[in-house]
Amino acid sequence: MQKQNSLKRFFGGAYIWPAMFLLLALLIVPLIYTVYSGFFQYKYMMKGNFVGLQNYIYCLSDKKIRASFMTTIGVTVVSTAISIVGGLLMALWIDRRGGFFSYLIEMVGLIPWVISMVVAGLLWRWLFNGDLGLFNLILKGLGMEPIYVIQNRNSAIIALIFVMSWRTIGYSMVMLLAGLKGIDGTLLEAARVDGATFLQTLFRIRLPLIKSNLLLSTIVLTVSNFTNNTVPKVLTSGGPANATNVITLEQYNLSFVYYEFGRSSALSVLIMAVVVVIIACYIKVAKYEL
Amino acid sequence: MDTNRRRHKTAARIGEAVFLLVFGIINLIPIFWGMVTSLKTTRDINSFPPKVFNFTPTLEHYQTVLSTGFFQTIVNSALYAVIAIVAGVVVGYLAGYGFARRDFPLKKLAFFIVVVGIPLSGGSSVLLIPNYMYMMNLSLTNHWYTMPLIYTAYNLPMTIWLMISGVKSVPLELEEAARIDGAKQKYIVCKLLPPLVKPSAAAAALLIFINAWNDYITASVMVTGQERKNIQMAIYDYMGFFGMEWGPLTAAASFAIIPILLVFTFLGKQLVSGLTAGAVKG
Repeated sequence: MQKQNSLKRFFGGAYIWPAMFLLLALLIVPLIYTVYSGFFQYKYMMKGNFVGLQNYIYCLSDKKIRASFMTTIGVTVVSTAISIVGGLLMALWIDRRGGFFSYLIEMVGLIPWVISMVVAGLLWRWLFNGDLGLFNLILKGLGMEPIYVIQNRNSAIIALIFVMSWRTIGYSMVMLLAGLKGIDGTLLEAARVDGATFLQTLFRIRLPLIKSNLLLSTIVLTVSNFTNNTVPKVLTSGGPANATNVITLEQYNLSFVYYEFGRSSALSVLIMAVVVVIIACYIKVAKYEL
Repeated sequence: MDTNRRRHKTAARIGEAVFLLVFGIINLIPIFWGMVTSLKTTRDINSFPPKVFNFTPTLEHYQTVLSTGFFQTIVNSALYAVIAIVAGVVVGYLAGYGFARRDFPLKKLAFFIVVVGIPLSGGSSVLLIPNYMYMMNLSLTNHWYTMPLIYTAYNLPMTIWLMISGVKSVPLELEEAARIDGAKQKYIVCKLLPPLVKPSAAAAALLIFINAWNDYITASVMVTGQERKNIQMAIYDYMGFFGMEWGPLTAAASFAIIPILLVFTFLGKQLVSGLTAGAVKG
């Protein structure tokens, strides 16, 4: 009887077997495999000798890769910050309006998030085009000198940050708005009756109550921006002179231009290490419960 | 006093309108300008001052793009997305039912893998090299099922999470009542519950569609050749092929945007509920 029960309990889990098989096979095992490959010399797809930590040492000491890490961190932090702060301001504002107006803004805000990054990067690249782009045509119309946005070091970085925040600001707005809508209205009403100012209700009631939404969208966007390679690839291709050479492009080139899969595995593990830290925060904040 | 307040309100309304206008322009101008460009002749694209409405629209760039086998890549993308949606929703629903209604060994660990998977699959380039090397060694790349398989797996964590809350929203009493009436487990899982978890399934399907249709980087390393390419790869390849000729490029981009905008216009509410579901528990 006891045995039959535990068998039944075991097969009760059969519902999740197909899903777990896919997740283990395509998410977990490849990650473990990469950690393993990072310790080997790997040219093209041929596994060579065990080289210990050499691939890691290479990645950590290579000047270009280090510069690339710094660029990535800078771009990620700035564009995520713009998205979160901008999204928060908009969410606070349209939360008070509600109705069709807020629905319209939510929809318009989400469009950059739902169109593909290839298309978004391509269309912005067209807008920023040196001679024919709309951006420079407007500048010309205003009697200003044209700016070759993508060809210029500083403006290329600004353009990359701009497109990344453009893509994500609507997302953070929607996430934060969901939190704000969940706040009990009587709480704010009570505070207002007691004579609290807008700023007081903001810092004492609203922000503390949407803290988890804030952290969650920050984490999601940080992972998304940190590991984003499509937007930089299409918009600036890492140039000019490696100014926008983010780490994912470096990882891509290491694998598919130089075919150094041992080194790119090691670099993947390093990127993963950063992401794991962020995911750990995610799990702590998200409090997913069964 | 009263006029003052009214004036204040008018000012606020104007402020809102201006804000909506500016926000709308910044968000939509690339798409608008891209679509306008795609309808111009090459001569009009290169003219200054730019023609915004005063040009004769032409479909020549769309024809150019379609004549290079672009249609095949649209079909591929649609196929990949549909298979991934069906497989993802079915597998995700079963897993959601298991997590919501059953107790089994290692349940906590399994759920942990799902939770870790949510942000992990969001940053897909973390998995790019790992999955490439792994699937290459198993000769799983460049088949018709390669991309659907990957999209299904990448979207499973979020799908399962949506499905767990979907199944949980159905009262347990309903299932028990059906069981007392003699319903078999098979009937409950296959007939009774599916209509009731439809909203969660719709949100999940929408997210899978968007992620599958929009993916470029994973497909670009996993498959090659015209018969396996997806639409985003085709657009990226055109950047080299047409040598930055913006007419065909924007026409190709329009092909990729239109389905997304259509789906989004009609199912925007479900999408928002799907996106925010991850934050509900927080």
